[in-house]
Amino acid sequence: MSVALTSDLAAAGVATSGHHVEIKGAVKHYGRARGLTGVDLEIQPGRFLVLLGPSGSGKTTLARCLAGVERLDGGVIRLGDRIVSDGKRHLPPERRDLAMVFQDYALWPHLTVRGNVSYALRRRHVTGAESRKRVLDALDQVGLARLADRYPYQLSGGEQQRVALARAVVARPGLLLFDEPLSNLDADLRERLRVQIATIARDSGATVVYITHDQSEAFALADEVAVLDGGKLVQLGPPEQIYRSPANLFVARFTGSAGEFPGRVVGADATHVSVEIEDGSTLQARPGGTLMTGAQVRVLVRPAATRVLVETSSRDVTLSGKVVDVAYRGRGYDHVVACAGGTLSSVFDHNRWPRGAELTIQLDPDGCVAYPDELGSDGSPT
Amino acid sequence: MALSRFSGVPLLIFWVLIAAILAVPVLLFLAVAFSPRLFDQGPEWFTFSGFSQAFSGPLLRGVVDSVFVGVTSALVAAAIGFAVAWVVVRTDLPGRRLWTGVMFALLLAPSYLIALGWERLLEPMGVLDVAGLHPGGFRDLFYGPFGVIVVLTAKGLPFAYLAISAALRGLGEEFESAVRVHGGGPIAATRVVVALISPAVWSALAIVFAESVSDFGVADTLANDAHFPVATYSLFNAVQAFPIQYSVAAAVGWVLLGLIALALLTQGWALRSRSYRVFGGRSRPARRVHVTGVARIGAIAGMAAVLLIGIGVPSFGAVSASLINGLGSLLTSHGLTLANYSRVLNSPELRDPLVYSGQLAFIAATVTVVLGAISARILSRRGAHLSARLLDMTLLTAVALPGIVFAAGYIFTFNLPILTTLGIQLYETTALLVVGYIATALPPTSRVLLGSVSQVQESLAEAGRVHGSGALGAWLRTVLPVLARPLVTAWLLVFGATLLELPMSQLLYPPGQPPVSVAITKALANYDFAGGTAMEVVAVLGALGVVAIVWTLFRLVAPVGWRRLGSTG
Repeated sequence: MSVALTSDLAAAGVATSGHHVEIKGAVKHYGRARGLTGVDLEIQPGRFLVLLGPSGSGKTTLARCLAGVERLDGGVIRLGDRIVSDGKRHLPPERRDLAMVFQDYALWPHLTVRGNVSYALRRRHVTGAESRKRVLDALDQVGLARLADRYPYQLSGGEQQRVALARAVVARPGLLLFDEPLSNLDADLRERLRVQIATIARDSGATVVYITHDQSEAFALADEVAVLDGGKLVQLGPPEQIYRSPANLFVARFTGSAGEFPGRVVGADATHVSVEIEDGSTLQARPGGTLMTGAQVRVLVRPAATRVLVETSSRDVTLSGKVVDVAYRGRGYDHVVACAGGTLSSVFDHNRWPRGAELTIQLDPDGCVAYPDELGSDGSPT
Repeated sequence: MALSRFSGVPLLIFWVLIAAILAVPVLLFLAVAFSPRLFDQGPEWFTFSGFSQAFSGPLLRGVVDSVFVGVTSALVAAAIGFAVAWVVVRTDLPGRRLWTGVMFALLLAPSYLIALGWERLLEPMGVLDVAGLHPGGFRDLFYGPFGVIVVLTAKGLPFAYLAISAALRGLGEEFESAVRVHGGGPIAATRVVVALISPAVWSALAIVFAESVSDFGVADTLANDAHFPVATYSLFNAVQAFPIQYSVAAAVGWVLLGLIALALLTQGWALRSRSYRVFGGRSRPARRVHVTGVARIGAIAGMAAVLLIGIGVPSFGAVSASLINGLGSLLTSHGLTLANYSRVLNSPELRDPLVYSGQLAFIAATVTVVLGAISARILSRRGAHLSARLLDMTLLTAVALPGIVFAAGYIFTFNLPILTTLGIQLYETTALLVVGYIATALPPTSRVLLGSVSQVQESLAEAGRVHGSGALGAWLRTVLPVLARPLVTAWLLVFGATLLELPMSQLLYPPGQPPVSVAITKALANYDFAGGTAMEVVAVLGALGVVAIVWTLFRLVAPVGWRRLGSTG
């Protein structure tokens, strides 16, 4: 039955599948510190959006404002066709028809797994056989039905995380929030739970907002990625677009860089610019904005754009350097190579090149992006 | 601001309450020392006359006596506390849990009960006299500074033990090993350990000194009976005198505060510009020393002596006195009897104070735990908020404030004519006594709850909110279960302390309705030693009974998840 809680939003004609989420000019301050400085964002119902950014970028603040556990200082948040938060009004979290998976899981230690998962159903007055069935279904989905009577402290970290996931989806909320849910887990478990989250969250039909600082996690999960920096939204788009055409140097760096080379634009064609770097070599790169000949730029190289060449032809765009470190990665080796104009990391090759070896590295121009240089050649602001 | 935080109008109400019960009464009382005219207590707008009286004649004697017993009991308690802590933490002596239990029993026992237990044994026509074992010279010795120091040392011992044992537990054995491998003997190693834990030793000295000079229980009983005046009793006398000498009492209050501040300053001075950062992740836990032979016997004898002096003798004194027929009267034959207990349970004069105190303790404990939880919540907020810092300072100051100063502040403030004009007539009412109890218990209760409250992750309640509960519902369903055990513990601590509380009771009880502590001291003062001690025993057993009932109820009624939290095994 429905529910006092599905409630305000359901009463307002919001679909029980996924909420349409709209954020306009969201501002949040903590004393003098700025959490959000005017974020605009729209998420279509049922879409999986990942908020990506470093610590302090405002992604958790934004999610907490969406959840309603923080109040906005300015701006508007709309769920469906209803304003749930602005500078004055604030719909409390329990009336927003949402659920959240917390970074620390926030399982209630006095309740069993079953008690934790059924909590949201009790609040929605779903009881009896219907509640039992939905709790078991949710636990089945995460593979924990056999542990329903255990307490959180009797579970491993991964199991606790899955209980938090079951608790979030059991009441079929319109919006699911995930606050770095995988950050406390080991690499293998992260990957398995990532798949589980992607599947279960999408199956639920809810709109999903997922927070992470890990770009590979973001790209693997998202329909759309929103990159935040310093409380601002700096780029929004599908993962492919974010990776291929980062809006600025920050986004490019944050979404994967093998190295950077300061230089000067010396020419251009329809798709690429030619950049002369400090050792006199010339690199080809896609322009990350409007660049004039003679402009100082930094060329950012994606890891996938590097390849170790055994034989070179005159047409190859190459750099030479000395191996300073090597790391075994299972399927091959990542090398750190010191070149005259800068250092390249994550230079992959199936062969192990010893420290001190001289290498020639080919760069794919499509994996290099040139941005106007806001820093000096030593990396300090100009 | 996160939604779960306590703010707005409720916060304002809370602050008004804190100001009304903690800050204003004490501040007004202390102000009268300088300006009696301001409160219609004398002709001068500004004067030091109260201080000149406090530092002359019998009042000066009280201050000097207080300093003497404070310093002596601090030194003795720190030394014994160090020894007990060493035995418990660093040796394999049997019964270590028992010794720790003794320390906690001493911590909870009111000082006047310890003093009264000793007195019943030693006084003329007391238990020992009745038994034909005349204590003679020891009686004369105990009825004086020696006895006062013994009782205050016993009361101060748990503070010294807790401070020093905590430091010893964290200290690895590498420092002692370094002394030994470089040629030092056990005594040299001990000296190094004492030096390394000197922050704890100084802290023990300061706390025991402060507790001793603030104590009113011994002052009102043994010290008074021994005609050994101390400052807290001088203050009490000034408030009880006719006409009441508030400015003198307030001056003595300032002196007591000054002595406590002096102790804390001395502690800071002794530790200045030195580093005691000896705890680290690489410290190796110290091994327990295997104590054998004479040392083992000596250590056990020493611990047994602590148990006897602090708990055994006073308990025996009280229980035996309560079982003797006509103790304190001029009867020549004294048989063993349970009639005194029958009197306590049947005579309104003895029974009613017990019931009355039980009711007041119930109300005070309940309100104090609610306010204490709110205070702890405010103090545990993330980030530095002015309101939290102010509350922290108020509560810490109130913890250090002698109970008798608090009580005098209440009697002074709520007796001011302006309150009558405003229609607030709380003086000599049960309501004021309860408020006084709450004010006394709130500062330590807030500190006790702060540890547990600050451990609760905010995400627990937030998860409750986003999964469908309102603010209060989320707190009740997600945070209360986690805090249930510490809240019950705090409630019991306040209940027990309030049931047997003396200074507030003595000064604020409504005419004709004495609480149990006052009734006990009155019965004893009227030479009804057997009735008074029977009431004492019944009160202590009653407090222990309530503890047992509450924990049994908790085990039976609380959901299994609540009980699992905080339990071991």
